[in-house]
Amino acid sequence: MSEKVSHSFLDPSVLGKLLSLELKARRPMLGSVAGRHRSPIRGSALEFAEYRKYVPGDDVRRLDWRTWGRTDRHYVKESEADTNLRLCFLLDTSGSMGYGEPGATRLDYARRLIATLAYLAAKQGDATGLYCGPSAVNAETPPRRGARHLGLVMQRLAELEPQGNATIAPAIHELAEKVSPRAMTVVVSDLLEPTEPLREAFQHLHFRKHDVVLFHLIDRREVDFPFDRPTQFIDLEGLPPLFADPSVVGPRYREAVVRHLREITGITSRLAIDYQRVFLDEPYDEALARFLLGRSSKGLPTVR
Amino acid sequence: MSFLNPIFLLGLPLILLPVIIHLTNRRHHHSVPWAATMFLIEATRQAKGLAHLRQLLILILRICAIAALLLAAARPLASGWIGLAGRQAETVILLLDRSASMEQFDPQTGESERSTALSRLSGMIAATGRRSEVVLIDSATLTPTLLPTGLELNDLPETAPTATDADIPALLRAAVDYVDTHGTGRTDVWLASDLQEGDWKPDSGEWMALRTAFSERPLLRLFLLAFADPPQDNAAISLGTVRRVRSKEGPNLAVDLRIRRFGAKASSLESRESAQGTKLPIEISINGTRTVETLSVVGDELTLLGHPIPLSQGTERGWGRIDLPADENPADNTVFFVFDDPALRKTVFVGDDAETASAIRTVASVANEPEVRYQVVTFNAGETALIPWREAALIFWQAPLPESDSPDGQLLRQYVASGRSLVFLPPLGDGGAEWMGLKWGDWTGGEDPRSVEWWRTESGLLAQTRSGAPLPVGDLRVFRMRDFETPGMPLLKVAPNHVLIAQGIADVAQQDETHEDSDHQVGTASGLITIWGTLPRHDDSNLASEGIVFFAMTHRALEEGVAAVAPARMMEASRATASELIGAKPLHAPESSDSSAIAGLSMAGLSAGAWEHGSEKDGLQRIAVNRPASEDDSRILSDEKLTSLMAGMQFRRIDDSVGRDRSLSSEIWRAFLVVMALALAVEAVLSLPPAPKKDARNARESRLNPVSSGT
Repeated sequence: MSEKVSHSFLDPSVLGKLLSLELKARRPMLGSVAGRHRSPIRGSALEFAEYRKYVPGDDVRRLDWRTWGRTDRHYVKESEADTNLRLCFLLDTSGSMGYGEPGATRLDYARRLIATLAYLAAKQGDATGLYCGPSAVNAETPPRRGARHLGLVMQRLAELEPQGNATIAPAIHELAEKVSPRAMTVVVSDLLEPTEPLREAFQHLHFRKHDVVLFHLIDRREVDFPFDRPTQFIDLEGLPPLFADPSVVGPRYREAVVRHLREITGITSRLAIDYQRVFLDEPYDEALARFLLGRSSKGLPTVR
Repeated sequence: MSFLNPIFLLGLPLILLPVIIHLTNRRHHHSVPWAATMFLIEATRQAKGLAHLRQLLILILRICAIAALLLAAARPLASGWIGLAGRQAETVILLLDRSASMEQFDPQTGESERSTALSRLSGMIAATGRRSEVVLIDSATLTPTLLPTGLELNDLPETAPTATDADIPALLRAAVDYVDTHGTGRTDVWLASDLQEGDWKPDSGEWMALRTAFSERPLLRLFLLAFADPPQDNAAISLGTVRRVRSKEGPNLAVDLRIRRFGAKASSLESRESAQGTKLPIEISINGTRTVETLSVVGDELTLLGHPIPLSQGTERGWGRIDLPADENPADNTVFFVFDDPALRKTVFVGDDAETASAIRTVASVANEPEVRYQVVTFNAGETALIPWREAALIFWQAPLPESDSPDGQLLRQYVASGRSLVFLPPLGDGGAEWMGLKWGDWTGGEDPRSVEWWRTESGLLAQTRSGAPLPVGDLRVFRMRDFETPGMPLLKVAPNHVLIAQGIADVAQQDETHEDSDHQVGTASGLITIWGTLPRHDDSNLASEGIVFFAMTHRALEEGVAAVAPARMMEASRATASELIGAKPLHAPESSDSSAIAGLSMAGLSAGAWEHGSEKDGLQRIAVNRPASEDDSRILSDEKLTSLMAGMQFRRIDDSVGRDRSLSSEIWRAFLVVMALALAVEAVLSLPPAPKKDARNARESRLNPVSSGT
């Protein structure tokens, strides 16, 4: 981090509070260089992992001579390799991400979230990349290390505009294919789409052994539906305007939302996805702190 | 339905207000950008059918609430009865049964069936008939009276109680005639009656014509306001003949009296089985002096023939009344009577045949009753100007028939119309002209006598005697007879099927106006006309030699006519009596303005009482008027009979009873307010958001906090 990276998404006070927290992967990562995260590859690093019987073909230099001397058996001493992680962000840029007041839209919230997290990752030497769904192909920034690359990610974040009505599930599938296994993928979306394709997409990521984090951004009005008079709802993704009487549709709307959230929770629970439901009226630093603390604690994170 | 404040109905377009507000809300709706449209679409799809129905219901209920408020403000008037009338009629014809039986009243309220009917009808008119022409036709006068608005029916002389009977078919015919004469449009006929079978005359041939008349007039509807409750405890008194007799104890009256009891109490077993019967005190007033006598009524009827009522010494004439104790119907508790010297039985013979005159003189001057004077005077055919029309009770007319419009013809009509008897005998020569449909033909017959083939025994001059024995009519032999043409009722026929004696049946008074119509019949309703086809001459018949039949016929005709000339007369209350008693003075203390007149009729003839008629110069006549005997017939027209009588007519029956607190119309704005409140309550319930389900509650609780999960 020799080059100075600054952007309006980054709040120094927030960064100051969060710098003490470490972004940890919950499963072994495959990195390009040595780092703070466990690697699935056994190597000769300092941290002992296990003894293994010698099999023909093993490098004889890795034989543990002391053990051979004491037991007259051939063992190979293995140790865990430490590596860096590739932190890949997948940001939903569909029209629904533009919901909210100007300057405080869902996409703005996501920008701050991603930027802060990317900064923290880069700070600890991890590579960061940004994929923007649903058009992830055209807006991809593969994970790399370095301040220059972080600046590129920030710039790409700043350029994004919410548009279109495509779903995030295909983008997740693309991400799963493009990114090499054992990376940390952070999906930031409102998930306003059918859950079945989502389940398949997340299963794809899970199959590729990614450490998946899902930031589900929800506006409280979308859950409470706080309307009391007939209203015309103008869809942000280009669907025809819909006139509805809240007294009539309100209860069923809320039931549908609850059902959707329950299904999302079920999917993430089954696929061991780190699911973070974030309401937009919650400060993003608190959401990040909650996320990082969950990662740093020992044992399995609990689902609240 | 009608309204007291119809101006509020102008606000009825306001019922569209909820629809307008709804549409305005849809047009000026609030728009918001929205992301979670997928949930909205799903919720809208689910709630579409039910929501539309709910919104429609809410709109309808709001419309109903406003409409009910406006209608309540307009103060609607209706009831189950008024609702029957439906659209307001242009003309309302009230047919009122004023018969004596309609005076049956409720002791608790004092309201009679007649007054109750009038109250109901008054309320109905005040409520709904303000813009209708209201016509009253009462059964006593059958005269249509156009009622001014705001008049209380009970105050009208045309609705006062009477002692008459009623002719319901005639009443309905009067209504139909009024409709035809005045060309009324939509007409409602309200008939108030107690369904007394005698008044309804179910066997009358008029009903068929009435059914046709009503069915041919689709705008004519009939509503029957029926008071068919039988009396619970009522006694009725009726009077037969009243004769003044002299006995050793002094003068007294011999009265034929009948007391009948009606109702559950009268027909109760205890009353029937009681040997002593029910003690009934009756009050007898003679010339204002009252005495009380207690009679014992065993069962439900008491008949007294020749019941003596002592007269004070020197009382030769006067009037009296007999009163029963008060009960459910005051109209049948009193009878009036008058008494005087017996009338002179004056017989007039007009003709040129001396033998016939002699035979009549012989028969008509024989005293049939003691203390009765008989007189026969004869005139030649050319001496008709000398006939004492006023004194004559019976005229034998053997002169040629006069023209109907000739002076003699008119005098004869007036004579018969006044209730006197007239016997036409065949002239020996020229038969004369045609008088009221009667025309003499030729003499027939020869040496062989004709015997009687048939004669009427149930009524008329040849009826059987009181004891039931027949007159020896079969002994009559007719040698010569003169044919005659008359549509009258045959009384006697000789072989082969020749009418020898006939009786007129039509009303001469009616013919006075329409006698030009050749179809009209000879006869009278008040006086008796008989036509004999032979003479009491020895070469014509054996009437004179076998004198019993001749005597009986002569004296029966004389007795029929003597009532009109008697100084004391008993009459039945009727329209005819009323027309005769115009100007009569009441002898009793009148309960109402008996001397008043309505529709050219005197109340004296319509209500019961004793009257004095005429002048000292022409001779005073005391007349007692009582209700007709048919009014004591308490039989009620059965539902089946009523249905058959009204078959094919637009008819609706409304049963009512005296003392019941109800009206033909009532304000029902409260009902509309209740409807409005109910509509608003249901609307409020429908507008309430549905209660959240358990899952939704849990979700609301959980979504208050952010969620993080993972393994």
